Amino acid sequence: MSITLDQVTKRYQGSPVVNDVSLNVRDGEFYVLLGPSGSGKSTLLRSIAGLTGVDHGRISLHGRDVTHVSARDRGVGLVFQNYALFRHMSVADNIEFALRVRRMKAADRRERRKELLRLVALEGMDDRLPTQLSGGQQQRVAVARALAHKPEVLLLDEPFGALDAKIREELRRTIRQVQRELGITTVLVTHDQEEAFALADRIGVMNLGRLLESDKPDELYARPATRFVATFLGAANLLLARQTSEGIRFGTTPVNARAVERVETGREHEVVAVLRPEEVELAPTREQLQAGYLAQGQVEEIVFTGAIERMRVRLQSGAEEAQLAGPAGESGAALIEVTRTQPEQRAFPLSPGQPVFIGVRRIHVLPTPLSSFSAFAADEADAKKLSQHQLLAGLASGMKTRVSVRVDTTLDIIRAPGTKPDLAGVAVIAAGPDSARHVQVLLQRGAGEVLVLPEAIVAPKRILIHWVDETPRRATLAVSASLLRHVPAEAVYVGILPEGTSEAARPQGVRTLLDARSEAQASHGLEMRTELRVGEAVEELAGQLAESPEQLLILGVSNVEVLTERFSRLLTASPGWPILVVYRTT
Amino acid sequence: MAGHGSNVHSAELASRPGRDGLMSALARWTFISVSLAFLAALLFAPLATVFVTAFGKGLGPYFASFSDSDTAAAIKLTLITAAIVVPLNTIFGLAASWAIAKFDFKGKSFLITLIDLPIAVSPVISGLVYVLMFGLQGWFGAWLQDHNISIIFALPGIVLATLFVTFPYVARELIPLMEQLGNDEEEAAITLGAGGWMTFFRVTLPKIRWGLVYGVILCNARAMGEFGAVSVVSGHIRGLTNTMPLHIEILYNEYAFVSAFAVASLLTLLAVATLVIKTLVEWRTGYRRRR
Repeated sequence: MSITLDQVTKRYQGSPVVNDVSLNVRDGEFYVLLGPSGSGKSTLLRSIAGLTGVDHGRISLHGRDVTHVSARDRGVGLVFQNYALFRHMSVADNIEFALRVRRMKAADRRERRKELLRLVALEGMDDRLPTQLSGGQQQRVAVARALAHKPEVLLLDEPFGALDAKIREELRRTIRQVQRELGITTVLVTHDQEEAFALADRIGVMNLGRLLESDKPDELYARPATRFVATFLGAANLLLARQTSEGIRFGTTPVNARAVERVETGREHEVVAVLRPEEVELAPTREQLQAGYLAQGQVEEIVFTGAIERMRVRLQSGAEEAQLAGPAGESGAALIEVTRTQPEQRAFPLSPGQPVFIGVRRIHVLPTPLSSFSAFAADEADAKKLSQHQLLAGLASGMKTRVSVRVDTTLDIIRAPGTKPDLAGVAVIAAGPDSARHVQVLLQRGAGEVLVLPEAIVAPKRILIHWVDETPRRATLAVSASLLRHVPAEAVYVGILPEGTSEAARPQGVRTLLDARSEAQASHGLEMRTELRVGEAVEELAGQLAESPEQLLILGVSNVEVLTERFSRLLTASPGWPILVVYRTT
Repeated sequence: MAGHGSNVHSAELASRPGRDGLMSALARWTFISVSLAFLAALLFAPLATVFVTAFGKGLGPYFASFSDSDTAAAIKLTLITAAIVVPLNTIFGLAASWAIAKFDFKGKSFLITLIDLPIAVSPVISGLVYVLMFGLQGWFGAWLQDHNISIIFALPGIVLATLFVTFPYVARELIPLMEQLGNDEEEAAITLGAGGWMTFFRVTLPKIRWGLVYGVILCNARAMGEFGAVSVVSGHIRGLTNTMPLHIEILYNEYAFVSAFAVASLLTLLAVATLVIKTLVEWRTGYRRRR
């Protein structure tokens, strides 16, 4: 491995800007870190270069731990967005700078400089000053300068940011060519997905300081694991669906798309499906659809863009409720985005207002367990207020999902077990003296997750994760991973051994802890810290929560009675903390 | 390049529809002549007077006034003071602007305010504080006398007062420049393997050199020309603690007009030389002041 990052965390004024990032970049690989501005990608690159120190974690280059090595001695080449050429030096002096530092002989320096200028196609420019060069040429000089001392790793921080489109493409090709020719391990930071697709062997998508997913470009596009990646890489329609034993169902329609992937069998539950605009088929009648039928619709708007035609189609006939968010991020409009190629347009010309039948060629179901939220309260006003709770609204907009308002006066009434489950997504209730009982009622009615929100609005900076026994472990990890992608907080798994555990049994506890950590990492891409405690679970958790109000607890349980008997103290605490209960019996 | 931009701007302004060609020309010439009249009355006339009076009795008396031992001593003292003060304030200015532009620390804005303090405070007060500290009745006065050290009414006092009065000049010139130029080149140098000193001398110093030259020129002009603060601490001992500006005042009060204006012409020449160097610097690099 050329570059190994192990749980790298960088905080700025207490909140993490790079949050538990672990990453391996292979020898000779071109790795692109992609993310919106403020996602922490540049900070991560700067910490690999050694210009920024990290608060936690380790960085190795070619097996050498460089976490505490200065930038000067790391031997990496770094290219900046605004070139950062030495403005008072000629091109030749700029390129030879690193060689002068290393006291190389003048003749050798000249030879190396010629070689580098050939590599970036700037022969004969030796005596120019940076101000006499165009932006593209300056960036070529910067690349040559960064490569002069034969670094093992080349880092590029938005190198094309300040260039116009045509030069950008040209320089992109040069950089790719140089990288191939030298076989140098390269990390490039960008916010431009097209650039990432064009250059990368692998792409890592970052948001809110976390590395969400890391894979080959085509894999990431076809099978994203998170909503963020699905909507950030290309356009995507997000739809709410129900996963049943027969397959996927939107509203009342079961969809028979050929390429629906099965994610998790078992109980019927709500899922989030990704429908790419180019995977939608439109036809005048249901019989003429070659792909699986989704719904009827009406063409709302058409934009011709040359090679393809973009349109918005309004969903009708029972599937209106399915739509979560269009590619533009607006929600609740029941509009889906469709793109059609020229042959498709010729086969079935369309104009706005025309009714159509909508088919789907391929649907990808996201493995996230958090699909939507329902805010429960005894009267409309309270439920509305709860649904607008800042933490909840923030989560919902980050997840591009909806919060439905549910008025329910029977939250106090415990029904007989065996009632048919009628709940979808995460149930949300306000914290109060009765919240333990409300949680119990909701869980017995089939809720898989209940979020208890105290009135005080505090953005959590730390998320504690704990499961009471091993049954809900997988689900709790999956929920935690999904939640943490949308909250800029650090995750800590708290393992608790019962009081009186013998010294001999402790290594066992540590192993469980490490297993949990590697499972989180392997199957959910979730990086978390671990802590081992000895004592009564509720006491230990209460102790940890008491440290700061800026925390959230995710609690996995498999038994409602255990929850209400042992943990009601946390659920009803005042002012309390947000608590997400994850309930799984199998 | 900025000049090119402003030309385009004024050409655009002149071509704006609805502007009367004659009226705007009239307005333009009115503004120009008013400014010139002010400059002539307040700047050129006094400057000319200095030289006219200095050479009023011919070249002989003009040069003779420099052969006076007290005058020579005053010139020497001024040069010594500047030679001590300017390098010290250059180092201080570099350090302060580096700290302010490159680091975030508590009390940063307080430090910036402190640097500006000598400009805000009357020079007489600047001198007086040293008298209050090191004078015979001052805090350290008795102790200094016991140890036979003289600060006030001696060279150290003059140097201290001048140092205080001139210390903002280099720093104020460099702080905005360094903030504008940013840190990228230094970071690039570090990743290329350069150490701290090498980064400073090969990258930072060349980058800011013209701003630094400009700051040093201003600092030097003020150091040589300072009157108020130095007047308070010097004690006006002829041939010992009189700097050029103080000496001019004494000569003038003794009705030695030719000598007074001859020394004054030296200071004026210094100012003219400063302006010439400044223009050269700006012309050489296209470096324009932003304030």
